[in-house]
Amino acid sequence: MAEEKRKERGDANRHTAKKKSKKTSDNQRKKTGPRLPSSLKKEIQHLNPTPVDVDDIDSDVYEYEEEQPEEESRKNKRYDPVSVNDDNDLSSDFEDENVQSDDDDGGYDFIGKKRKEIDSDDDYGEEDDERHERMLQRITGMPSKPFDGNKKARKNDVIPELYPESENNPSHDVVEGDGRISIEDLLNPLRDDPDHSRLRLRNQQIENRSRTVHAPLPKADQAKVERKVAYQISKEQVTKWQPLIQKNREAPTKYFDEKTDLGFSTIGAIASEFEPRTEFERKMAALVHHDKIIEAHKNDGASLLDMNKVSIVCEKDRQNRNAKLRSLLFRHEMKAKHVKKIKSKTYHRLLKKHRLKAESSQLEMDPEATNEYALKQERQRAEERMTLRHKHKSPWLQRKMQRGLDKQDEGTRAAVTEHFQRHEELTRKRNTMDSSSSDDSTYEDDDDENAADSDPGKANNILRKAKQKTLEVLEEDDGMPKSGLLSLPFMRRGLEKRKEATIEEVNLTVQEYEDSMKKLDDSGGSEDPKVASTGGRRVFGMAKAQTIGADNKVELDKFYNNSDSEDDFEAKKSGNIENDGSDNLQKDVINDSVLNQENIDSRKESVFKNFDEIVKNPGPKTTYEVSIFASDTWKKAKNKNGIDTDIKKSSKFTRSVRHNVKNSEKDQLGEDSDTDDEGQMVDGILTSASKPSYELPSQEELIRQAFAGDDVEDDFEKDKQEILNEENPEPEKPLLLPGWGQWTDIQQKKGLPSWMVKEHENARIKREEALKKRKDAQLKNVIISEKSSKKAEKLQTKTVPFPYTSKDVFHQSMRMPIGPESNPSTTFGPLTRPEVVKKPGVIIKPIEFEEVNPHVKPEQQSVKNKKLNITKGNDSEAIKKSKLKVKGNK
Amino acid sequence: MKIKVISRSTEEFTRERSQDLQRVFRNYDPILRPQEKAVEYVRALNAVKLDKIFARPFIGAMDGHVDAISCMAKNPSQLKEVFSGSMDGDIRLWDIAARRTVCQFPGHQGAVRGLTASTDGRILVSCGTDSTVRLWNVPVASFGDSDGSIKTTIEPASVYVWKNAFCAVDHQWDGEHFATGGAQVDIWNHNRSQPVNSFVWGSDTVISVRFNPGEPNLLASSASDRSINLYDLRMDTPVRKMIMMTKTNSIAWNPMEPINFTVANEDGYCYSYDSRKLGEAKCVHKDHVSAVMDIDYSPTGREFVTGSYDRTVRIFPYNGGHSREIYHTKRMQRVFCVKFSGDGSYVISGSDDTNLRLWKAKASEQLGVVLPREKKKHDYHEAIKKRYRHLPEVNRIARHRHLPRPIYKASSLLRVIADAKKKKEERRKAHSAPGSVTTKPLRKRRIIREVE
Repeated sequence: MAEEKRKERGDANRHTAKKKSKKTSDNQRKKTGPRLPSSLKKEIQHLNPTPVDVDDIDSDVYEYEEEQPEEESRKNKRYDPVSVNDDNDLSSDFEDENVQSDDDDGGYDFIGKKRKEIDSDDDYGEEDDERHERMLQRITGMPSKPFDGNKKARKNDVIPELYPESENNPSHDVVEGDGRISIEDLLNPLRDDPDHSRLRLRNQQIENRSRTVHAPLPKADQAKVERKVAYQISKEQVTKWQPLIQKNREAPTKYFDEKTDLGFSTIGAIASEFEPRTEFERKMAALVHHDKIIEAHKNDGASLLDMNKVSIVCEKDRQNRNAKLRSLLFRHEMKAKHVKKIKSKTYHRLLKKHRLKAESSQLEMDPEATNEYALKQERQRAEERMTLRHKHKSPWLQRKMQRGLDKQDEGTRAAVTEHFQRHEELTRKRNTMDSSSSDDSTYEDDDDENAADSDPGKANNILRKAKQKTLEVLEEDDGMPKSGLLSLPFMRRGLEKRKEATIEEVNLTVQEYEDSMKKLDDSGGSEDPKVASTGGRRVFGMAKAQTIGADNKVELDKFYNNSDSEDDFEAKKSGNIENDGSDNLQKDVINDSVLNQENIDSRKESVFKNFDEIVKNPGPKTTYEVSIFASDTWKKAKNKNGIDTDIKKSSKFTRSVRHNVKNSEKDQLGEDSDTDDEGQMVDGILTSASKPSYELPSQEELIRQAFAGDDVEDDFEKDKQEILNEENPEPEKPLLLPGWGQWTDIQQKKGLPSWMVKEHENARIKREEALKKRKDAQLKNVIISEKSSKKAEKLQTKTVPFPYTSKDVFHQSMRMPIGPESNPSTTFGPLTRPEVVKKPGVIIKPIEFEEVNPHVKPEQQSVKNKKLNITKGNDSEAIKKSKLKVKGNK
Repeated sequence: MKIKVISRSTEEFTRERSQDLQRVFRNYDPILRPQEKAVEYVRALNAVKLDKIFARPFIGAMDGHVDAISCMAKNPSQLKEVFSGSMDGDIRLWDIAARRTVCQFPGHQGAVRGLTASTDGRILVSCGTDSTVRLWNVPVASFGDSDGSIKTTIEPASVYVWKNAFCAVDHQWDGEHFATGGAQVDIWNHNRSQPVNSFVWGSDTVISVRFNPGEPNLLASSASDRSINLYDLRMDTPVRKMIMMTKTNSIAWNPMEPINFTVANEDGYCYSYDSRKLGEAKCVHKDHVSAVMDIDYSPTGREFVTGSYDRTVRIFPYNGGHSREIYHTKRMQRVFCVKFSGDGSYVISGSDDTNLRLWKAKASEQLGVVLPREKKKHDYHEAIKKRYRHLPEVNRIARHRHLPRPIYKASSLLRVIADAKKKKEERRKAHSAPGSVTTKPLRKRRIIREVE
């Protein structure tokens, strides 16, 4: 079909010729109709410069008087398939081509039709045909087209002579015999016509232009041509999808879940299908579907109220009851609010007390409540015993203990104590119940320990060990810190001094040890067990000679305090003890026991010495001694009383004794040690006190002093140079191997070969350029490493990823985060909307065709298509921008 | 003087119901969140990792056939129904939801080679090597018998015996025609025992036939002479032929883009073509290491699934050169047929080991009801994954797959071969006169010619 159409188009130029020939035939016939006056003709020609013949218009005018239905029937002929087929044949027969048929072509049908109409005018049988045709049309409901061919044939049969020039006429040859009518024959009668010459000229032209017609193509080729055309057509048809596809592809989101009809009905629909099955349901249905109720519903439900009758009395009663209840509730509420508002603690305490009292009274009164309470208590106890929740198990407590109780603040410590107390409380019940506890056992344990300690041989051993340990500590301390704050010169000085003091002290202690060892040997096992036992209680909270620097300091501090205020001695002492308690907890047990022994031993004799020494010692020492003396006197009084059972007292007493011992030994060493002691005190801690004129150096000065030794700037320069050398290494110096490449004498004469020098020079220049290009070339105090860091590599792409054309656009697209924290929910949705939105369980049908205007932007279209306006994501927008930019650049 | 006062209406910050979420007011100024980008990167990384963790694509296997499964068809009107035909002539209707056989269609003497169902899902058409085309009435699923495991057998509604064995059949979308491929392409009508039309071009066997779902008059076929043919039902003749270097095993039209189709080729590649320009493939999808046996588009048209002779199933994006996903199990043998489910969220594969396998189309997708907030979260994760997919770490994790050893080895070998070829080509080019050696682009390389 398509092929045929194309051929028609190709033949268009030929049709002009046909038209001419038609005109000839028209000319022949036009005499039959009435004519226009010549003036009018001219007028029309003037108006119509197109090559439409006046004659045609002529006949047109004539045609107007024709009947309407006839014309209609003719019109149908325009699309007669038969005629189109006829047209095909034309190409093969040249003669026929010239002699144009009526129903040749749509474009020229208009003339042919006219002619036909004229024919029908002439033909008396035509009217019958028309009627017949109309009848057929009415019956079948189809246009008259299918019947036309038949009719035409008949028509031609009836009046052959009238249409000698029609190629459609099959009887033409039969009628005429051999004679083929040429165009000349037809033109001859028109000789006297004014247009005749023109017609002839045209005819000649056509004859000259005619070509030979080729033989039909072989079947394979014909098929090929057909396929080609068919492909062309199907391509064209498929192309209509292009804009739609384009739109879908460009859309940021494609929705496939729009037309969803899952077949689920509404609640109303389900309810209407409900049928009562069980007895209960049937009863309910009977009530619900009662005639009266339904009727009432129909009447706006007003009569429903009538059905639901309640007596006035009842209603009033109910109202009253409700009001009462409400007012009660309100009052109660108000009271509660009022009570809650009271801020007085006493009030609340009293309230609580009252409540407890009431509870306990109830306990007393009600045996059941008592039982319950007891059970509860029992249960709590059992739980506690099982879980030990308040002992060690609590993670909080464990954590606190792990960190050390001494590091906690007051509140925490109190809480811990409370915790333990609770445990005690919970478990104590058991004791009262059992009522068979013995506090003795603990004491017994203590005694045993002390007894073991008092064994002379062991004590000796322990003393030796202690001595060793002290010496070890001394050796260990030797190392001076070489860096950090402690390496600063003034700190170093201080440290040194302190160390000296320590050494001295250590020496003292060692001597002490030795003394006591000797004494131990002397005295043997003759010791008072009572004293030993009291000494055993001194494990915690006692301050004694400690060999290590830090403790030493504390001690000195203590001494100083003592000398400062004699009167407060006792109180301060105890305070110190408390402070030291935590430290001492971690103290070595051995050390303690050793000290105990030592104290025990030394006490007896040193007590008496003290008085003499007080007299002897001058200066700051006196105050110190005084304090000791005071404690001693106090102790003595106690001793005199003969009561030494109080543990605390004894501990104080022994401590002071120990100080005594120490001092006495110092004195024995001589005056040097005393002065040393003094100096130490002044230098270490009491600087401000002893040298009030000393001023703190200013910050700058301090820094200068601190960094006196090192040149930071120089170091930095060096570092930078190193890094530069590492990243842009210096070229190697050209090396000349003697005897390689040249004889040695020539080498010596000529020196380095020129190429080597050149290469070296090039490398050097290259390096310099590279150094100049560095980011830190101009920055004096900065090093910017040009080595790419591996951590940053993870966060970078090596190239600009595919859809992006430039780096900037890519960066732009990545600039803004799309998360819900940085975008309001209105933009968060569109930003994160996926490309395809579908619903699981919904079958997606293939695409259906819809018209898409390719010139409208997809966004506008989507708005048009009742979609929620989808704002595009950053990415796609960025891409578009980049495209625009690129275009602009071009 | 103007006094500015902060005023908020209570509606803005109060909830309507106690179950409502508390509104959170945020200041979206980016200056306040300088680390947001880093946070998002880490989120993307985590999302990708989570994807790996949740990737459990295999849902279940459906066994019942006693021979290799040669073809499958999905019921266009029923989501859970899939037909499968095996080499021993057995056809089964499966209920995917319950993963069991609903009924059987016995009758074929030889292997069943083609299966298809009409758009309304009432009629099943099968054809096979016994030269018959059989039409079956598909039993209508009802809620009542969905729980019972009654297997029924069904008699064919009609049997049309023809002159040659058939290799493929496909039904027109929303029409009453179906096409069979054997010695030629025949167009049949439901109620005629003879084809209403037949297209012959060349004398080789037609292996596969597929109607265009968007444009129901167009169909494409592939033949054993390595050609791909296009037909238009409105024309008497075939429309166009294109010959490739290797045979095309299967064709699938893009249901959302009626001009495009993708072919599964024997050389392990898939080629997407524009039906108007057959001289060059639009895209070459490569990843399979052996012949691709079957291909099916997702109904969304954005991806397609392929089954290969290398015992794997892969899912490709419609415009991407490499697969998005690979599915394999130890027991799965050569895959002969694959189908996407009607809603695009499942993949079904039929293989040589007589089993149908059901996979998720997205390996880590959460099945079941997803709450709106969950969905929002998933969407956000998808978006940031997409956003940061270029970064090496994210990319690496997202692309990483454990492969069976033979496939891993084969793919590395293929890569080596390709590299060597490329290198040689480059050298040849470098050592000959400029312009005398030209490289054909990959899209055209495997096409021999287009025949008019």
